[in-house]
Amino acid sequence: MKITQHATDTTLTLALNGELDASSSVLLDNELSKPEILRTQKVLIDCQQLNYISSAGLGVFISHLQTFQDANVKLVFFNMQEKVRNVFEILGLDSLMTIVPSEADAAAV
Amino acid sequence: MAVLRKPFSLLGIAALLSWLALLAAALLYAHPGLGGVPYSTPAGLILILQALFTAVVFLYERKSPERLRGVDFIGLLQRMLLGPALLAVSSVGLHQLLQMLLPDYTTGSVLHTVLYTLNVGLFVLLLARTNYAWRTLMLFRSSERLQRQWVAFELLLGATLLLRLLPYTPPAGLSAAVLGVLAAFGVYLSGRQKWVAYLSRRQKLEAVLLQLAIIGVMGIFVAYFLYTRLGFRMVGPAPQNAFLLLNAFFASFYALMGLLVTFFNLPTAGVFEQKREEILSMQRLTQLIQRGQTTAEVYQMFFDSAIQTTGADAAWLQIEAIDEEDRHDLYYQLPADQGSAIRGMLAEFNLGNLEYFNNDLSGGSFRQLQLPFGSLMVMPLSSSKRQYGNIYLLQEPVQAFDRESLSILQTFASQTVLSIENLQLIQASMRTQRVQDELKIASAVQDSLIPKNLPIDNWFEISSYAVAATEVGGDFYDFLHLPGRRLAVLIGDVSGKGVTAAFHVAQMKGIFHALMQENPLARNEREKYPVPSQFMTQANDALGRCLEKSAFITASLYIIDYEHGGFVFARAGHCHTLYYHSIKEEVSYFQTPGLGLGIIRHDGYEKHIKNQFYDYNPSDVMVIYTDGIVEARDAAQDEYGEERLQRMLEESYYLDADQIKAHILADLHEFTKGQPMHDDQTLLVIKFRSAQPEAGH
Repeated sequence: MKITQHATDTTLTLALNGELDASSSVLLDNELSKPEILRTQKVLIDCQQLNYISSAGLGVFISHLQTFQDANVKLVFFNMQEKVRNVFEILGLDSLMTIVPSEADAAAV
Repeated sequence: MAVLRKPFSLLGIAALLSWLALLAAALLYAHPGLGGVPYSTPAGLILILQALFTAVVFLYERKSPERLRGVDFIGLLQRMLLGPALLAVSSVGLHQLLQMLLPDYTTGSVLHTVLYTLNVGLFVLLLARTNYAWRTLMLFRSSERLQRQWVAFELLLGATLLLRLLPYTPPAGLSAAVLGVLAAFGVYLSGRQKWVAYLSRRQKLEAVLLQLAIIGVMGIFVAYFLYTRLGFRMVGPAPQNAFLLLNAFFASFYALMGLLVTFFNLPTAGVFEQKREEILSMQRLTQLIQRGQTTAEVYQMFFDSAIQTTGADAAWLQIEAIDEEDRHDLYYQLPADQGSAIRGMLAEFNLGNLEYFNNDLSGGSFRQLQLPFGSLMVMPLSSSKRQYGNIYLLQEPVQAFDRESLSILQTFASQTVLSIENLQLIQASMRTQRVQDELKIASAVQDSLIPKNLPIDNWFEISSYAVAATEVGGDFYDFLHLPGRRLAVLIGDVSGKGVTAAFHVAQMKGIFHALMQENPLARNEREKYPVPSQFMTQANDALGRCLEKSAFITASLYIIDYEHGGFVFARAGHCHTLYYHSIKEEVSYFQTPGLGLGIIRHDGYEKHIKNQFYDYNPSDVMVIYTDGIVEARDAAQDEYGEERLQRMLEESYYLDADQIKAHILADLHEFTKGQPMHDDQTLLVIKFRSAQPEAGH
């Protein structure tokens, strides 16, 4: 699992590369737990290279969901592979989180 | 009779008889016609009888059982001295006393002859006992060769006994030569004193005294035989008596040699004992680990051994404590502040935690500490993993420690570290064992939560499969019969694995059984039991308070009403239900929305969960499962997937529930062949049948 960051004044983009399982989700959790993240307006997750997400990986997003909402930070996923999107949908997360097709769509949210 | 049971006791009786014969012969020789017996013994017969007696006594001693117990050499010497030697000396003393008190009466009297003959007998007995005691000592842990040499010596000595039978007296030169050669043999054998090395210092002192006593006893006999005048002599330097002479010589000389060897060994006895003490300490240290002692005991043992073997006047075992329980510092005759001062001084010179010895503390930097000690030795306790501490040993004199004691201490230290680390390993493995035992219990508890008896009825078939990837799993399923011919089926999966997940499984089952109770306040039949979406909302509420933030649970609850031939279910983020519709002859997934439990923990969950109603038909098949099935991977890391599962049902929907399950599992196992199981797997197959009217309906 590799996480690359790209930050602008208002937006933080995290590109996930690889499999988000129990061990790699700790890395992601560290990134999302940084206090400065709550000062941005939007956190964009680029899922183009994300091949697999385990329940531990989902748990990381779920655990930060409330904090982000309270701080008025939008969490947007884009470029999601069908397989991964299916996992989000089965769990019903698509009704809680914003999942859009492309980066342009994400920027427009 | 008891004596007859032992064969050598026959020899004992023979010895007694031959002595009596010798006595009779001696009396008749010295006092011809005594007691009216008209016979005078020829001198040659006395010698022959004496030789016979001697031979029998020596054979008796030779056949006697080994008198040495273990390495109790002192005991052997003591028994010999307090037994035959004391007896013989007392008898000689008695004879001398009588001669002094009653000179007229004794000389040439019958009593005199009797006592003399008795003393000769006792002397022979003492010689035999002494020589065979020496044999024991000489052959102690000896080579085969030495044993053969001893037998040769015995045979040669035995041959000299036959000299008495010779009809003529051999020339003096020849006798002397024979005697000389045999004496030299005895001297050679007397050099074999290996046993002395096994004595402690104290025992060596005792051995010297005992051997002096034995030589003394021999001296008494020589004097006795020289000064006792009698009409005849049974003991004397005549060639006929070569055997006794040689034996006496050997007995004395071996004692003398032993005495000298022991005596010259005395100064080194201390060193031997120290070595022995070191070996014993090392053994004790090693045994401590085997007995599973504590770290504190190992340190104490090391501390005591180090002080004992180096003869230190003061000592400090300084242990670097990691936590409170790890405090094992030990002091011996050393105030803590002096210890710290030494440690501080060494650290100042960058000598902390290093092997160090200083035999002159009165000079150099140590002078300013004004310690009442002259010598210091420091040995670190360390392994490649950890620095445990140091031992400081002090002695009052200067030049008290040497390289030798440093290397002994080093051996002790490494043995101690080995013991400590072994103990840690043992403790760690015991902890692991305990965790494993607890997991086994958890596994058993969880196993008891899995429904053992599947519901049986004539309107459906049901077949189940559940395997956990680890000891305890996060998958669960359960059944509950509700009144009104209804059945509740719950399936679910707790995120994460292991004990935490297992606890949530138990919790979820508790929630299931608690919520699926009849509501006494219900206004109508329908409200008596919660519908699935209500159940999920209430469960989400209950779980929200105890699940950790990143954990969630997926579940599906089905309430099947087989009176009316329909079911209602809600899917809380769980895998889609696979279904065979017999009317449409089609296999598909129920696509219903629904959010997992524990994801949102405030009000509003009910908006994310829906009930789905469906009227089933006979021969419909419902396949419910957990993600461990569809996310199972093959060697290429591809997932089993929903499509493949669907195809399996398409191939097998017409079979029994058991057979459908077997068909799916066979394919799944083929797919995942050789791959480790990553997640728990649960699979339930329910096949509806046309309801048969029950008896009485």
